[in-house]
Amino acid sequence: MKFKLSEDEVKLLKILKKSGGIASVDRIALEMELTSDKVAALALNMSLKDLLSLKTEEDSVITLTDEGLRYAKLGLPERRIVDQAKAKRILSISELANLEDWEKAIGLAWLKKKAWGTVKAGKVEVSGEAIKGVDEKLIELIASEGRVYVSNLPSELREAIDVLKERRLIKIEKSSTRFISLSKIGEEALKGEIEILEEVSRLTRELIISGRWRNVVFKKYNVALPSYRIPIGRLSFVREVLDYIRQVWVEMGFIEMEGPILEICLWNYDALYVPQDHPARDLQDTFYVKTPKFGRLLNQDLVEKVKNTHESGWSTGSTGWGYHWDLEESKKTLLRTHTTCLSARTLATLRDAELPAKFFAVSKVFRNEKPDRTHLCEFYQTEGIVVDENANMKHLIGYLKEFFKRLGFPDARFRPAYFPYTEPSLEVEVYYPSIDKWIELAGAGILRPEVVKPLLGREIPVLAWGLGPGRMIMLNYNLKDMRELAMNDLDLLRNAPVWIG
Amino acid sequence: MPVIRVSLRDFERLVGLALPIGRLRSELPMIGLGWERDDSEGFEVEVFPNRPDMLSPEGLARAYKGFIGLEKGMPHYIVKSSSINVNVDRDICEVRPYSVFAVVKNIPMDEEVLKSIIQLQEKLHISYCRNRRKASIGLHDLDKFKPPVRYTVKVSDFKFKPLDYDREITIKEILERHPKGVEYGHILAGFNKYPIIEDSEGLVLSMPPIINSDYTKVDVKTRNIFIDCTGLDWKTVSSVLNIMVTSLAERGGEVYKVKVFYPFETPFGIVFDSPDLKVQEVKLSLDFVNKILGEKLTMEEALELLCRMRYDAIECSRGDILVKVPAYRVDIMHPIDLVEDIAIAYGYDRIKPEIPKVFTSGGESYLERFSSKVRLIMVGLGFQEVITDILTNPHDLFTAMRVKPEPVVELENPKTVEYTVCRSWLMPCLMKILSRNRHREYPQRIFEVDDVVVLDENSETGARNVRKLAAVSTHSEADYAEIRAVVDTLLKILDVDFCINSGEHPSFIDGRIGFIEATTGENLGFLGEIHPEVLENFGLENPSVGFEINLECIMRLKGVGRKP
Repeated sequence: MKFKLSEDEVKLLKILKKSGGIASVDRIALEMELTSDKVAALALNMSLKDLLSLKTEEDSVITLTDEGLRYAKLGLPERRIVDQAKAKRILSISELANLEDWEKAIGLAWLKKKAWGTVKAGKVEVSGEAIKGVDEKLIELIASEGRVYVSNLPSELREAIDVLKERRLIKIEKSSTRFISLSKIGEEALKGEIEILEEVSRLTRELIISGRWRNVVFKKYNVALPSYRIPIGRLSFVREVLDYIRQVWVEMGFIEMEGPILEICLWNYDALYVPQDHPARDLQDTFYVKTPKFGRLLNQDLVEKVKNTHESGWSTGSTGWGYHWDLEESKKTLLRTHTTCLSARTLATLRDAELPAKFFAVSKVFRNEKPDRTHLCEFYQTEGIVVDENANMKHLIGYLKEFFKRLGFPDARFRPAYFPYTEPSLEVEVYYPSIDKWIELAGAGILRPEVVKPLLGREIPVLAWGLGPGRMIMLNYNLKDMRELAMNDLDLLRNAPVWIG
Repeated sequence: MPVIRVSLRDFERLVGLALPIGRLRSELPMIGLGWERDDSEGFEVEVFPNRPDMLSPEGLARAYKGFIGLEKGMPHYIVKSSSINVNVDRDICEVRPYSVFAVVKNIPMDEEVLKSIIQLQEKLHISYCRNRRKASIGLHDLDKFKPPVRYTVKVSDFKFKPLDYDREITIKEILERHPKGVEYGHILAGFNKYPIIEDSEGLVLSMPPIINSDYTKVDVKTRNIFIDCTGLDWKTVSSVLNIMVTSLAERGGEVYKVKVFYPFETPFGIVFDSPDLKVQEVKLSLDFVNKILGEKLTMEEALELLCRMRYDAIECSRGDILVKVPAYRVDIMHPIDLVEDIAIAYGYDRIKPEIPKVFTSGGESYLERFSSKVRLIMVGLGFQEVITDILTNPHDLFTAMRVKPEPVVELENPKTVEYTVCRSWLMPCLMKILSRNRHREYPQRIFEVDDVVVLDENSETGARNVRKLAAVSTHSEADYAEIRAVVDTLLKILDVDFCINSGEHPSFIDGRIGFIEATTGENLGFLGEIHPEVLENFGLENPSVGFEINLECIMRLKGVGRKP
């Protein structure tokens, strides 16, 4: 059998063979001049080819304490006493040299305990040979190796561990050691024929077309290292949400409406039965326009109906607002304050044959606000209308439930509200599990007869609802300041998670 | 929308029930009130502008008692006769012509009641009375002056002691120095005579709509109140008076009418009794109710629900209901308003959702569909989309771009200098975004597909939207070749045949600006290396290149319609 191995693999097998078939990772790393991690990775890969096996052993490692280190250099105190006493056979304690006072006490005690001699009347008398003990041998071994593993010790030396531990000359700590052992296949490989493979870092076109890739091994990468940033192109996260909303409307059978950003009061307010002295029409809330200051009223018939409706209800069955409606006021230009002007324009051109029909808009609207944490002077709004002879409030709630379910809010509830152009009106609240709160998200209602009849020519219940997606986007992306929606911070744009819906 | 504060103890007293706050928190919003907050003392609710009758705890309790079925039907208020007359002078008709009056006696006044009366007056002023312009209310201690009362005019050096003042000052001084005069003086601007209400001895009650006098001040010891309500609109003044009067009657006050003598014909005649708590009658068909709600309410159910909303309702002919609307309800213009009230009494939460099985086809507009496609191409070319403000200012739009200002849509009443005009091209907005992102990682390549607004005399509103695409790339290596490659690739994918002509544009480096012309001769836009002075103006330090294209021109070339 022929083995294809890299140089490092061969080297490792040889070291194992030399060390009797087993060696620790650390030891091999030392010999191969590689880091332990690299050796472990190499060995792991080789173990997959059954060339060797890996195991981790729990072991205890012994090192000398400071006192132990001192004795390793000078000898145990009892050994030093015996050596001095041997020369004279009897030695007075006061004559002992090279021992600290505390060492003398220890030395004399152990001299007696080891029966190397006796102490009487301040004199030491040696008896016997005072043979070198296993404790001394173990200290020597640890001193020469720096540290020893309990499992590596000959059984004779292990006997000394307890005594030395008791004398606080050694420290024992738990450690785990990774061992590599040569397998049968590994041994065969060493005996058999080995083809050394080249290690390459990059797969090249040349390697592929020449087929040489078969005779190389690929250098292993650290696949966990972090990467660099790709300078990508993306849609804005705001766009992702707007597109998503647009898609929901289309799925539900709504047709998109468009219209001018610069509007006239007729479409933005008057046609929606907002009285001309309504606070929303104040300079405080609406952006009026200096150039051009007035637009033109193209549909005189509609203007007449709107005027009559405001003043006395026209033929809608309403009392009207009961004030003098000013024609000039309705020509004034403004930046549209809501998308409802698009609905008004749509109703005004809708023909009976086109019914039932549904329309939607997703568009920018404007309010005269100084931008702050909770306000913007321009923002997106979306709304839809259902023009259906048979529409009713049950349908409205049905549509709303379905719409908000598709927007990702399976829990929606409704309560009474007020808007000048709808009756009944309702407020939509949806449940946010992430913050465990009901959030006011949208307004809805059935357009008032005073709105519908002048525009459409007859009274039909027109269902309508709308919302500003800003709040939804802020909650989803955890933004605290509304201005971040318009800031276009490239970090946020590049890194915002994709909107799943 | 106005928010009113209600003491829980007072509200319980008015309703006559112990009311846990949790119950009110869930029930009041279902009547059509916005729950703002609550604490141990009471709660605050937002009152919708169509229901000024609920701007007081009394009005709120009146509606709530009906909603929970405690008191049903229209409240009947007895109006007794008094001998008090009010004479209106002819001169007033130019300044603040309309006025109505009432007296309410034996009010069980205490701190809470006083607070609630003042709150109602204030909240009516700011909402329904349009900051006192349409109408204003004056409350006076009836026992502190001597009727008959005269509604007249005085000149600016006329003196009296305004509320909470210790000395007399002239009308002129009030208008110039008194905080209320400064705040509301504009309502009387342009007149040289000012409305004054005074008693038989010339003691001033009030100077509508600015301030009351100190002489007839209402305090916690007041039992009998004289109310004036003046303004520019009959309907508003009488509605406001009715709301005030019925609120006080809910407290247990006794309503007395006064006789008003006018020098000219009014909708109530030359001499009329005030207040006029006239009941409005509206005919409502049960079929209409059920058609709008989609429910199958029986006549009995409908009548019961109307009674719970404090109407009197009877079946007047088969399938038709005659509804009597109390004088304090100012929002009933059309039977549809009664239908909403029936829905509220029925409970919005009880209406079962239903989706009709009706076919309609949906679709995006061609403009949006086309815009989406262009955005995807730009994204594929490595550009990051931005969505910038349509509002900008002439400095960013022209000066910083080294371009001569041209007429654009300009705001009448901007709140900040930052936003004064609508943009007529996109590139300045992109430059602004780059200048905000100077410290973000490079290269920066951004684009936008959105509307600009251009003046157009032929359009209904005097301007029209134009959908455009602009892109800018900024980094140390940015050059004409890069942006030319982008434009070439984009237009190739859009299948537009074009050529690039040289020309001049102050925003770009001379000789590095190209104009994109369709082979049919239409000008589509331009591309080039942005002038270093423009870069300096936006604080940019890297070479930048960009282009701007009119997408509507391309749609026309490609024959893409604008309607779905």
